[in-house]
Amino acid sequence: MAETKSASIRTPRARVKGLGASGHGAEHFWIQRLTGAANLLLMIAFVVIVAKMWGRPYPEAVALVAQPIVAIILLLTVVSATIHMRLGMQVIIEDYVHGTGLKFAALTANTFYAVAVAAACLYAIIRVGLGGLV
Amino acid sequence: MAQFTLPKNSQIGEGKTWPAPEGAKNVQVFRIYRWNPDDGLNPRIDTYHVDRDDCGPMVLDALIWIKNKVDATLVFRRSCREGICGSCAMNMEGQNSLACTMGIDECKSPDNAVPFLNRKDKDGAIRIYPLPHMPVIKDLVPDLTNFYAQHAAIEPWLQTETPAPEKEWRQTPEDRTKLDGLYECILCACCTTSCPSYWWNGDKFLGPAALLQAYRWLIDSRDENTGERLDALHDPFRLYRCHTIMNCANACPKSLNPAKAIAEIKKMMVERAV
Repeated sequence: MAETKSASIRTPRARVKGLGASGHGAEHFWIQRLTGAANLLLMIAFVVIVAKMWGRPYPEAVALVAQPIVAIILLLTVVSATIHMRLGMQVIIEDYVHGTGLKFAALTANTFYAVAVAAACLYAIIRVGLGGLV
Repeated sequence: MAQFTLPKNSQIGEGKTWPAPEGAKNVQVFRIYRWNPDDGLNPRIDTYHVDRDDCGPMVLDALIWIKNKVDATLVFRRSCREGICGSCAMNMEGQNSLACTMGIDECKSPDNAVPFLNRKDKDGAIRIYPLPHMPVIKDLVPDLTNFYAQHAAIEPWLQTETPAPEKEWRQTPEDRTKLDGLYECILCACCTTSCPSYWWNGDKFLGPAALLQAYRWLIDSRDENTGERLDALHDPFRLYRCHTIMNCANACPKSLNPAKAIAEIKKMMVERAV
């Protein structure tokens, strides 16, 4: 509740209009909900798969992941979860990080991180799925 | 980064204590935010003792009683004293509302307590602050310039291309019903100033009050600029900073639901895109 004197003498209307509406947001909103709903189903399947691995020796676990249906579910889970993760984190950064440089750096790092996680997981599943680790 | 602590020149100190009037038996203590732009000092909290036997039942009555009988320098806005002008919006015991429709007893009631924020003093004082996160002009008077500019930005008037009819623009009773729960907004700013998203991004996020009014015109069957109105809102900050926190619906002294109106705008955005 401090006294905040504007450094600008632009009119309040000009400040509110700013650079105008970007024409983006609906797709981000929709895909975040879509991947959220997908994650709900995929995560149930993911938990079942992990539970099935519980206590089994390594070759059996690898064999489970190598089954086409299991591998496809895991691939979809990684894609949906990492897209959702990136979109969600982007919202948090936009909410709280206001310095232009820091914000762009954080948004870039967020995308790089999500892509790196997705690439590593996809590589591992595909390698196991194609029998590379048996 | 979002600022979570008060800057040095805004940190609040202990102010003056004004004693209870002699002979007062039914005394209510108020702790009220004071800040004067002219004295160069930090804000302070003054303590007032109000004789409830000599004062009306509402918080605004107590403020007027203080101004008339104890401290004429206390500054606050008020006009209609019946919840229709929106002038006396302020933060009472952690809750944004109108001082004229908030009873002193209601304000003290545990039902009114803000969860996780036990700010009740031992003497049962009621704390009164200006609306949160707005620049303060003086004492309990916030600067709502940005709020009003945001309301103007959604162009809250009927927009048509068809030549105006000889009489009125016609609307079915069913379509008129759609405006209920929207047109009643009195622009008191209780909702917008209770919204954390607005606190962090109030320069770009239009806030619940402006978006409620935006929806009021989007859903108006007589308006012919629905698409242009949606275009103007299609932005990650103007509209999509709303994370359905619902403080707005809790705070609204007219029991409106801005969060629902914003959700309806988001549905319209998806409807035209998908």
